[in-house]
Amino acid sequence: MTKTISRQGERRLKGTPVCRGIAIGKPFLFSISETLTPETGVPVSDVEAEIARYRRALENSRLDIERLRKQMEHEHVSEGSAILEAHLQILEDPVITTDIEKYIETGKNAEIAFLKVISAFQQHFESMRDPFFRERFKDIQDVARRVIGHLRHTVRISLAEAPPGSIVFANELSASEAAEADPKNVSAFVTEVGGLATHAAIIAKAKGIPYIARVSFTGLTFTEETTVIVDGRTGEVIISPYADTLAIYAHVQRQLSLHVAKLEHTATALAETYDGLPICLCANVEAVEEIPLLHQYGAYGVGLLRSENVFFFKDTFPSENEQYFYYRAFVERMNGLPIVIRTFDIGGDKCFMGRIEGSDEPFFVGCRAIQFFLQEKTIFKKQLRAILRAATAGDVSVLFPMVSSLSELREAKALLQEARRELHKENIPCPEKILVGCMIEVPSAAVIADLLANECDFLSIGTNDLVHYSLAADRFHQTTSSLMALCHPSLLRLIKMVVVESNLRGIPVSVCGEIASDPRFTPLLLGLGVHRLSVACRYIPLVKNAIRCISAVESVELARQALSLSTASEVQQLLEKSYRDAVPDDCFYNF
Amino acid sequence: MELVQKVRVKNKMGLHTRPATAIVKLLQGCKCDVNFTYKKETINAKSILSILMLAARRNTTITINVKGADAPETMEKLIEAFETKFGE
Repeated sequence: MTKTISRQGERRLKGTPVCRGIAIGKPFLFSISETLTPETGVPVSDVEAEIARYRRALENSRLDIERLRKQMEHEHVSEGSAILEAHLQILEDPVITTDIEKYIETGKNAEIAFLKVISAFQQHFESMRDPFFRERFKDIQDVARRVIGHLRHTVRISLAEAPPGSIVFANELSASEAAEADPKNVSAFVTEVGGLATHAAIIAKAKGIPYIARVSFTGLTFTEETTVIVDGRTGEVIISPYADTLAIYAHVQRQLSLHVAKLEHTATALAETYDGLPICLCANVEAVEEIPLLHQYGAYGVGLLRSENVFFFKDTFPSENEQYFYYRAFVERMNGLPIVIRTFDIGGDKCFMGRIEGSDEPFFVGCRAIQFFLQEKTIFKKQLRAILRAATAGDVSVLFPMVSSLSELREAKALLQEARRELHKENIPCPEKILVGCMIEVPSAAVIADLLANECDFLSIGTNDLVHYSLAADRFHQTTSSLMALCHPSLLRLIKMVVVESNLRGIPVSVCGEIASDPRFTPLLLGLGVHRLSVACRYIPLVKNAIRCISAVESVELARQALSLSTASEVQQLLEKSYRDAVPDDCFYNF
Repeated sequence: MELVQKVRVKNKMGLHTRPATAIVKLLQGCKCDVNFTYKKETINAKSILSILMLAARRNTTITINVKGADAPETMEKLIEAFETKFGE
């Protein structure tokens, strides 16, 4: 445990807010051991004791893994159990046992000896040409974290084990790590790297866990007793706050929970402006477990099902049947409400690595999803067949991501036709007609929105990527705050262009990016002519409230005003002011 | 007794985590020394980390060297396991 002498004053760190909310809790150090491990020489007389301490850490790690493995077996998660089996073998590996003990005998403490050996492995694996094998280091790293966790008592291994009120500090969070976190216990995430568009961020949002990324931990010390405040509005992390700071935040938190309770109360009301313009408020969905909430909030349907989750934790693309059952589970739970299934969107920040069946070549999806899948037609057709089959169970549309030209859209549609013909031939039921949509998330697609709108049934604007590509901004290392980027006049004009073209052709257009779930943008989007929004389930009450607090006429006036402004900061000021006027009691956004 | 034999990696993804786990488990309790040689690198086959470091891909050849009392049985079991893709 690290000693602390930070009693005398509070310390404020600043990062990028990734997921909203305010949390007050105690630190839970997660996988940041490498940066915090001190090198202490071990006197020769203590070598025996140090080796014994190391063996105890290995034994405790083994017991952990055994327990988790039994749990996985009990839950019939056979893949998880196989991975843990490998972890057990790694713990018993002579390299981990005898080699490291020899190292300790030279007078190194166990942490340093262990980390030296692990980092040698890391270098070796990172130098491998084959990305698939390079990736195998993750298992070693996972075991290493566990062992280090037992050597240093404050670092624990699974977020599932975090006690209530934990503010998780980690260098970086993977999607599976974030997935393990229980929102009842984990109050917030704070990481050194990462950002808005990572998978961990998406999961944090779905779970409603406040998250601040890009905070520097250099020189940071705390005990388990240190109080930490996380402010998802400003991106501030306050360590050992003064009593008055704490009182202010406790007050804000109370206000906020009152507001949230009020929102929950009106969550089932109609999504319409107060002068009666109905808005289709849909949910972005990752897991079937979210669907009951969507029904509870009276959502219009699912505006975006991220299909790539079907191969989370997998090395190969799932089979057609596997996918069919996966999609069908969602469709059946919709009780007839519409659901939009987006085809695999991987590549760019969402990397996938694995192998294509029947091929020896490992691959790494580096290019945009639709390009990749138009090359790998068999994989793509498998998915389209699975979607078509699942579509017999309800109201399903298909959405192609990352389209940048009309020829890509045509090719994708042709493959969909081919998949349908095949199914017909094989006498497998599939619907006669399925609605086809096109994502507008690269600037080239926005510019030719008229051409794309001519040949599909709906458009969906993905603002996260659109901002990224049109401002040439780095999604992981944004220098501008995200709100500023979203307020950029170029983005407003792009949205306007797309909306005008789709309205001209009478096809629906929705917005499903980050911008849609920020209530400060809701009036602007309505005013720009977007009448269909898709947001993470838990933000439905918030956005619905913003819709119900404005009239259609006011929103059009606001949009006109926003479009006349020339800088992002002017737009931001306008939106902040109008939200403060419309929803004065939301102390999260108005501060 | 010392035995040497070449085997082909048949697993689709090469000697990745699962086959490597299977090899180490299979060799638990055997009394002989077992080495794999791949691309001029020789490693202890009882170490899962060392096997993974070979990064041996499908259709590559590994030379197995078994030295000790129960060498014949051990070699036989290993060849069988490579043949059946370690149950994958």
